[in-house]
Amino acid sequence: MSDKTATVIPASDTERPRLAAPEKMPVTQIALLAFVAAALVVLPFVVTGYVLYIANLLLVFIVLCLGLHLVIGETGQFALAHAAFYGIGIYSSGLAGNAFGWPFPLSMLLAGVVAGAVGVVIGTVALRMRDIYLALATFAFGEAMQWVFLNWDQVTGGPNGLRISPARLGDLEILTDRQAYPVVVFVTLLMIALTIVISRSRVGRSFRAVRESDVAAMAMGIPVRRAKITAFGLSAFYAGVAGSMFATFSTYIHPDSLGFQTTILALTMVVVGGLGSITGAVGGAIVFGLISEFLRQTPSYQEIIYGLILIVFMMYAPRGLFAFIRDQMGRITRG
Amino acid sequence: MTLDVVFLFLQQGVASGLVIGSVYALLALAIVVIFKTSDVPNFSQGEMVMAAGYIALYLLVFRSMPLWIVMPATILAAYAGAALFRRLVLNQVARANGSPVNLVIATLGLSYVLRGFVRQTGFGDTPRSFPPVVEPQSIMIGQAAVTTLDLVILATAVVVMAAFFWMFKYTKIGRAMRAVGMNPKAAQLVGVDLTRIHMIVWGLSGGISAIAALLISPKVLMTADMGSIVTLGFAAAIVGGFTSLPGAVVGGFLIGIIENLVGLFISSRAIVLAPFVAIMLVLVIRPQGLFGGRVEIKKV
Repeated sequence: MSDKTATVIPASDTERPRLAAPEKMPVTQIALLAFVAAALVVLPFVVTGYVLYIANLLLVFIVLCLGLHLVIGETGQFALAHAAFYGIGIYSSGLAGNAFGWPFPLSMLLAGVVAGAVGVVIGTVALRMRDIYLALATFAFGEAMQWVFLNWDQVTGGPNGLRISPARLGDLEILTDRQAYPVVVFVTLLMIALTIVISRSRVGRSFRAVRESDVAAMAMGIPVRRAKITAFGLSAFYAGVAGSMFATFSTYIHPDSLGFQTTILALTMVVVGGLGSITGAVGGAIVFGLISEFLRQTPSYQEIIYGLILIVFMMYAPRGLFAFIRDQMGRITRG
Repeated sequence: MTLDVVFLFLQQGVASGLVIGSVYALLALAIVVIFKTSDVPNFSQGEMVMAAGYIALYLLVFRSMPLWIVMPATILAAYAGAALFRRLVLNQVARANGSPVNLVIATLGLSYVLRGFVRQTGFGDTPRSFPPVVEPQSIMIGQAAVTTLDLVILATAVVVMAAFFWMFKYTKIGRAMRAVGMNPKAAQLVGVDLTRIHMIVWGLSGGISAIAALLISPKVLMTADMGSIVTLGFAAAIVGGFTSLPGAVVGGFLIGIIENLVGLFISSRAIVLAPFVAIMLVLVIRPQGLFGGRVEIKKV
């Protein structure tokens, strides 16, 4: 009982992980950001199309992870249907492009809004439940959605998959990964900025209050249920946008890649990076995305190494890669 | 559809449903016993079943050992493996950061490792069939056709469940398990060795998984992905309330029967969807499951 109260207001920084609280930016961090920005600009001029494809994919994963960060990291709700919303995003933006020839910014918005709306509906039902039940209900929803993707032949193409016509804006058509790259980068940066804004706003603070203790949050007058549904809907919106980002540079989608595995992949990234911080979500997506890409040729090793990474991280670096590095650096500088 | 056919389908659906449901019930039991004592939904339960199945297959087919050695050896191996995982890995995870999410993710890690390992050995490359424990002969019960294998499956599952309930209710270990489930700190205060109980719980869960594997393997094709069958065990556990052992058993039989009736009356394509619809329905109408207690509101 008493340790519950302690978590609401961290007694000291050494005890509690510093989670996503607004931080001041030191010079090193600004330098790092400048370096990342430069790398993002230079990248398309120095690498092959395949590498750019991987880069696009990593950016999609970053947005997916940001959504998961909002609902699991910030609000502490264990939702496991991310792949379903991702799929809804891919199909709705793909179909808007295929059937009506919508320009891609519009279909991107549509994808986010449709996924977000479904998220709010599911959230309203599922958030009647706590903790484990929420995880299980969203898991069930995810599996059911994959079944829908596989069997609603008229709309999704069923087991044959769906061809996605190239994204367009007026006369401009996106045909290659190189052309898609600036769009994907732009949207990713937009979503990161949005996440930071949300996280520092009243809404973000209410999310974290709910995470620490929903009873205490309720006592402070935070509409707990609405906060949870908002977080869930937002995370679905992010997943939908991620889906439509995927649709801009991809020509084909098959329901097989929209199952529990994908949800788990995103969850793994967020956890490996460090649950509860934006840096963790973004960094985890990049690091783990690269690892899984390098191991793609040997699926059995890929699985074993995935598993070992998860286990070892949970055993020795439960707050994620970046917190672990920071701790080690701190230890070294302190001597 | 005439009334005769409806009646025939009902009988067949219930009979087949009880058989497969008994395996789901075992799986649900294995999931719930861990959840009750440590608040962790074990996402590697399916891969434990799969790995146990492959151990049995390896001993039986590739080492041509007799069945009466293979069965206890498999169960023991699963018991030891699961108990060791709890002791060596999860204890450390709990020490590093006690939140249940981290434990859950560690079990996910184990599921990846086991699946990758089976693929790596090459056994998982092609679907394999497991030799049946008894020669399947067709038997009619009423108008429902079942096989002798089905009856053995049902009987074994029921015996295992009965033994488990007896252990849980009447032995000292069982009482300690219940105490840990109610309040780990208080249990520790009265002298229950938490580490030991957790190890035994995981071991038992692994052992039950191995039994389920031995029962189900002859009926399905074995692949490295066969662990997904545990999804139905989860469905059963949810329907039963997730913390109730009798609920898990009833849920298992219910899911088995629903699945078969949906297959017979609606479409075989809808079978996959049936358990998820059942989960959603149960959770919407009665979020705590059929046998779950009232949802507690935690104090600050």
